[in-house]
Amino acid sequence: MTELELADRTLGFCAGAAQVNVVRERSLASRFARSVPTQATAVDDTTVEVLCLVDGHTGTASTNRVDDDALREVATRARRIAAASARTGRGEHPDLPRPGPPAGESAGPDPGAGHDRRTAELDPAEAGAALAGAFDVAGARATEAFGIWTSGEVSTAIVSTAGMRAAESVTDAHMKVIVRDATGRSGYAATTSVRGAEIDGAEIAGRAVSGLSPDEPAELASGEYDVVLGHEAVGTLLDFLGWLGFNGLAHAERRGALCDRIGRQVAAAVINLTDSPGGGDGLPRSFDAEAVGKARVVLIEDGVARSVVHDTRSAAVAGGGARSTGHALTAGGDPDGPAPTNLVLAGGRADSVEALAQPIRRGVFVTRLWYVNPVDPRHALLTGVTRDGTFLIEDGRITRPVRDVRFTDSVLRILAATDDLTRAGRLVSDAEHYGRRFAHGVVCPALRASGFRVTGSTT
Amino acid sequence: MLDLVVELASSGGEGCSYVDVRWVERTLERLTVSGGRVERVLSEQDEGIGVRVAARSGGFGFAATRDTSRAGGLAALRRATAIASSQPSAALRPLAPVVPGRGAWAGRCEIDPFAESIEARLELLLRADALLGGDPRIVRTQAESIAVRTRKAFASSEGAAFTQELTECGGGIEAHAADGDDVQIRSYPSAHGGSVAAAGYEHLLGLDLVGNARRVAEEAVALLLAPECPAGRTTLVLGDEQVALQVHESIGHALELDRIQLGEASYAGTSWVSPGDIGHLRYGSDDLRISADATLAGGLGSFGWDDEGVAGQRTMLIDSGILRAALSDRTSAASLGLTSSGGCARADGFSRQPIVRMTNVSIEPGRSGTLAELIGGVENGIYMETNRSWSIDDRRLHFQFATEVGREIRGGELGRLVKNASYAGLTPEFWGSLDGVCSASDWRVWGLLNCGKGEPGQVAHVSHGAAPARFRNVQVGVARR
Repeated sequence: MTELELADRTLGFCAGAAQVNVVRERSLASRFARSVPTQATAVDDTTVEVLCLVDGHTGTASTNRVDDDALREVATRARRIAAASARTGRGEHPDLPRPGPPAGESAGPDPGAGHDRRTAELDPAEAGAALAGAFDVAGARATEAFGIWTSGEVSTAIVSTAGMRAAESVTDAHMKVIVRDATGRSGYAATTSVRGAEIDGAEIAGRAVSGLSPDEPAELASGEYDVVLGHEAVGTLLDFLGWLGFNGLAHAERRGALCDRIGRQVAAAVINLTDSPGGGDGLPRSFDAEAVGKARVVLIEDGVARSVVHDTRSAAVAGGGARSTGHALTAGGDPDGPAPTNLVLAGGRADSVEALAQPIRRGVFVTRLWYVNPVDPRHALLTGVTRDGTFLIEDGRITRPVRDVRFTDSVLRILAATDDLTRAGRLVSDAEHYGRRFAHGVVCPALRASGFRVTGSTT
Repeated sequence: MLDLVVELASSGGEGCSYVDVRWVERTLERLTVSGGRVERVLSEQDEGIGVRVAARSGGFGFAATRDTSRAGGLAALRRATAIASSQPSAALRPLAPVVPGRGAWAGRCEIDPFAESIEARLELLLRADALLGGDPRIVRTQAESIAVRTRKAFASSEGAAFTQELTECGGGIEAHAADGDDVQIRSYPSAHGGSVAAAGYEHLLGLDLVGNARRVAEEAVALLLAPECPAGRTTLVLGDEQVALQVHESIGHALELDRIQLGEASYAGTSWVSPGDIGHLRYGSDDLRISADATLAGGLGSFGWDDEGVAGQRTMLIDSGILRAALSDRTSAASLGLTSSGGCARADGFSRQPIVRMTNVSIEPGRSGTLAELIGGVENGIYMETNRSWSIDDRRLHFQFATEVGREIRGGELGRLVKNASYAGLTPEFWGSLDGVCSASDWRVWGLLNCGKGEPGQVAHVSHGAAPARFRNVQVGVARR
């Protein structure tokens, strides 16, 4: 039975207004440390989720059993809890979305753009080959390799009594390699793609090794620095900005970082940020968790904030004619609100990271960031540390390593202080798969900004 | 289901030196109300089998399936064996010896939360939520509860065969206040989902969410008017919930033996502690005593046996400031030459394999009396409570935390409220500055539901016993705009 057939069958057991989401994950993951495989995981699981709507209240129930008894039970359970909620009074859910054109400015991805048949075969031998390639390259430089190779296929089908009907299978593959030398210095590289064939363990390890320096790391004092943020670092910051700035629910509730700032200059004129679910370098998706079609949404244009994203519920809270933009993360809309999951930051004029460093007399280059968390969401103020390659920039050149540092800075301030970016962007993803696999990433260039706030050293 | 997992584990995977099989069934209900209305009621159920094998070629393989039939289990066993064999060959990694566990274990649960009607549970939350609103500066209110029941059956090729059942329940409230571009949040009894324990509905009732709601809302609004937390070095007193998180981040994770042995370097990170430090490293002052206790009543990290079949145990990790032991599973323990595992192998549901996790890592009660008595020993300082933000580096060395509330301390007494309170430090320096921990009367167990680690990602539920504690010469006011 296909996921769509399973969704249809489940909807047949539902009474009243209902939506059924079926998600099947098949995935492989192979972890390694000290150039030795440590954990190899295969997952095959299906979630059937039913959302029922009673008097403006939702009830959501799920199961991973697919026999008729289980489907009937999950439908009954969802209806029962929605009815229980309705006994507290009228709810505010605006109703299930109905078929219609996407709210964005252009069409979503081509059907099948996010799927690769060969990747979906999930051959564990590909993991073995990728790991072996990485181990060889790391060993040749007297380093050890740490990381993960993973690939998966996720098939989603959504049907509803309001006429929504969508199905899609997507694949993703990811490998990251951290190489460490005997002193603990590390270098990092990763590749994420729809196609597993683009994952080359030796090539990734080679890039990670190239980020290693034999020099002793220097200390960097707290203060403000000109900075070149590598692709991975930029991707992490934008991922947070997606939540803090463009979440339509937080915005409507006046908790968002762009409250009262839509239509105003919030970043440098070189900043153009969109959510582009059909982007060729990204991880294309056709619809959200309410089966609302995805389309390109302009978020920041020439530094001016243009819009936030919505699911059906946040659009109703926002009012003023707001519509879902296809950014629901869960059926019925997540209580934490919607978020963009296909961010694309347009490139600039620089040919390379090295070119970005050229105008800087003394500054810092950051490969990637770690353990980032909001300090003041209203101002997109974050704190975190650098990891796996932080370097001093001296007289226009990236020269020697510095010990990892803590930063405390606002993403919006950094984007306002940005004066150039690399021409080429790439897909950045941490491939963190908590719960059901949902691959997403940010397509972004590296950038140069002033005033990066270093607030401590990690030693 | 025990019979099936025993049969699968006994069948022995082809080319395998070890097999274990876990069946896990998990039921979760999460109720959320906001702004006087029910926001979401979520009910999740899943079950499945996870099979882990050690191939004679040296690799481990793990396969998870929702198919709990005999055929499904056998297919998972074949899949686990296949992926183990597909890894680059490596030296066989031994497992520390274990006495195979047999029997049944169940956690405490006086009132079954799933037997309470959804209407009654919503009514409790709506009453609390109603008292959070009222002031026009309150822009969001929320009250939530959660109930989780996990049933497991485990068997291994070494002869282990047992079942376990754990019920978790709890909840909390929060209010967001806004004025211009200032947004403040106040939560009770703790941030990030409230207080959850290995207990029944009686735990949620005991939190008295309704009785605390009005105070929480008033404090959220008061924070809008409060001055900024001053910056500088001063004496810091932390509330017990923030001490729990401080222990979690800067001690618990740092003492996971897989991190110490670089096994988590690719994701969660490593540790500033080295394997050779165990037994003599001074981690903190003489007042620092840390235990790992999988037998703690009400602890989310309590169990009869861990997910490798090692019996739950209590271990002193740090005694009088000296590091005595680390958190280990069978693989990391064997790698260090230990004769037994620390019993800290835990997995997130059936579809993840066990990794080294905290059980209930607690700071032991001190001798400083009550919170008032602890503060009485401070001429000038700051008191902070309820976590708002947290970050620590990948070696668990440099941290920065922010709390919802700060209060100045003057002349041994609490003074005016300050907002955007934060502090930062280095782990050994910070714990070295500890000079007082409140006594058992102020010691409570705090549950955390959001501890992430591993690839694919795993979320662990852990608890920490903690009491308010005092630290001298700490950098505060570090997270300003």
